[in-house]
Amino acid sequence: MVGLESPSPASPAVQTIDITKIYRVGHIDYPALRGVSVKIAKGELVSIVGPSGSGKSTFLNIVGALDPPTSGRVIIDGIDLRKLSEDRLALLRNLKIGFVYQSFNLIQRLTSIENVEMPLIARGIPEQIRKSRSLKMLRAVGLEQKGNKRPTELSGGEQQRVSIARALVTRPALVLGDEPTGNVDSKTTREVLRYIVQVNKTLGTTFVLVTHNPDVANMTHRLITFKDGLIEKEQYLQRIDSYTGS
Amino acid sequence: MEMRTHDIFRLAFKALRDRKLRSFLTILGIMIGSAVILALIASSSGLSVGIQAQVEKIGANTLTVSSARQFFGGGSSGTQSYQLSQQDVNTIKSFQGVSDVIPYYSQRATISYGSNSIQGELIGVDASALFTMYKGLSLYSGGLPDSYDPSAAAVGYSIAFPTGSTDQLTLNQMVSIALGGSTSSSLTFLVKGIFSEYGRVLFSNIDETIFISLQSAQILLKTQYFSGLYVMTETPEDVTSVQQEIESYYGDQVRVMNAGSMLSSVESITSQMTVFLGSIGGVSLFVAAVGITNTMFVSVMERTREIGILKALGYRPRQIMGMFLSEAVLSGIIGGVGGTMLGYVLSFIIGGALPMSGGFGPPGRTTSTTTLTPVFTPELIVFSLLFPIGIAVLAGLYPAWRAARMNAVVALKYE
Repeated sequence: MVGLESPSPASPAVQTIDITKIYRVGHIDYPALRGVSVKIAKGELVSIVGPSGSGKSTFLNIVGALDPPTSGRVIIDGIDLRKLSEDRLALLRNLKIGFVYQSFNLIQRLTSIENVEMPLIARGIPEQIRKSRSLKMLRAVGLEQKGNKRPTELSGGEQQRVSIARALVTRPALVLGDEPTGNVDSKTTREVLRYIVQVNKTLGTTFVLVTHNPDVANMTHRLITFKDGLIEKEQYLQRIDSYTGS
Repeated sequence: MEMRTHDIFRLAFKALRDRKLRSFLTILGIMIGSAVILALIASSSGLSVGIQAQVEKIGANTLTVSSARQFFGGGSSGTQSYQLSQQDVNTIKSFQGVSDVIPYYSQRATISYGSNSIQGELIGVDASALFTMYKGLSLYSGGLPDSYDPSAAAVGYSIAFPTGSTDQLTLNQMVSIALGGSTSSSLTFLVKGIFSEYGRVLFSNIDETIFISLQSAQILLKTQYFSGLYVMTETPEDVTSVQQEIESYYGDQVRVMNAGSMLSSVESITSQMTVFLGSIGGVSLFVAAVGITNTMFVSVMERTREIGILKALGYRPRQIMGMFLSEAVLSGIIGGVGGTMLGYVLSFIIGGALPMSGGFGPPGRTTSTTTLTPVFTPELIVFSLLFPIGIAVLAGLYPAWRAARMNAVVALKYE
């Protein structure tokens, strides 16, 4: 779409080649990533674990095209991010990537349905179409009755489901979650995970989830452990089911 | 793939509504600035139009001559001041370029009839000269009083039909004139003519004036010396040379005024005032602009996290800038429309307060004030609507740019 077509359908959803990220505070350099190479296949469900400051979130921001690496290459769906302007990066995020955050990151003055509509508004999609798509997404996460509620009127679990609906309304190829179950109770966590697995299976959406929760990690295909800005180990937990979605 | 304009404005409106009080105060600042500017421009152009109309009434070939001492209001210390007499009429008539000299008496007077007692002005003048003195003056009913009829008078429209009174004057009705409130020297006149509404010229409000013959005025005022002379020149170009000739002949014993130049001095005082007040309006709009910038900076800071979210959702910098800028534009539109309406009302208030030829009265008389009508041209209205929007855009540009350039990762971590 608009010059962001993937060169080959077989290209991985995410590929990083020896990426580093160094934050400079004053005259001191803090390396957050020290050479991370990883390849995530389309339709793969990956969890990333590791202690605080191990570089998990930095990795997620770089893969999410929000932050450029200091060195190395990032390739999303066959597109090398180095070559993209800021506008192109924004377009890539809008078309191919969905974000789910621990703190939900909903816009407080907008209703649930308006929050879900936001990525579609950026794209200039007519109101009627985006409303019906957003409503369908809210129904899928079980919140069709709460479309006109603002985030403050929703429970934490409901807010997280709205943010998942927002992340998925554009049918992204890749969804990045930064502790998506960090602020919700165990019941909601199970619901959220069930839904993620369902979307992953039916639509073939690739998920990369940073988590501290072993339940989340256990239901993914692969567990990547970060330590001190490096990948400490990778474990394949289960085989990726063959994707048969549309 | 471009955001729809109505979506941008809808989101901007929601953002403004979300912080009602702050938005209201910002918009109020814009409103006041634009209202003051509109009101001042409208009333000062109304003033120019009014002044031009007065020049046209008097004519560009008219000079007035009055005793110098008297002009400054010291009329009672008469012995030392120069007194204008028939001899001066003849002298000035003989000057090169003079076509006519019309002597007149004028005095503040109380005109009474029926239940009405009206503070107005008495002018004693040869009635046949009235239409020469006041261009465009016409009779509402009756005719001009005969110059040789000592009891005949003609009155201005407001004397015959005073506002707020059911008692009205008819032709051939008796009126009595008393000077300066004293009842001792009061005389009775017969109204032979009523003038149509005319308004002000320089010294007088014709609508509040009663005209009697020179002879009657002499008797009533108990003096043979005139209050002033109207000097008509053959052409408008002669005005300057005749003025110089009179001044060199009489020295500073008399005061010669040229209607055109006097009005232009009034106009220049007024335009200086307009510039002064206009710059206050400009300053207030500038303050409003600073207010917009400030409000928007606070808003951008408060919504740092939201900006991060927008970036993550794939909003381009240009779109984010557009969203913030449209909040400023919306403030400008509301402020501009509100300011234009407020300015419209305000201009009538200012119009009532500006000194329209006040203070240029002839001896012994204070002039009454008249309200001027503000002038609204389509260009002025368009300017008044668009200027605040332009100011708002300029004020919002930098904060909006800052929002657009924000680092997404830092913004998302903002608490």
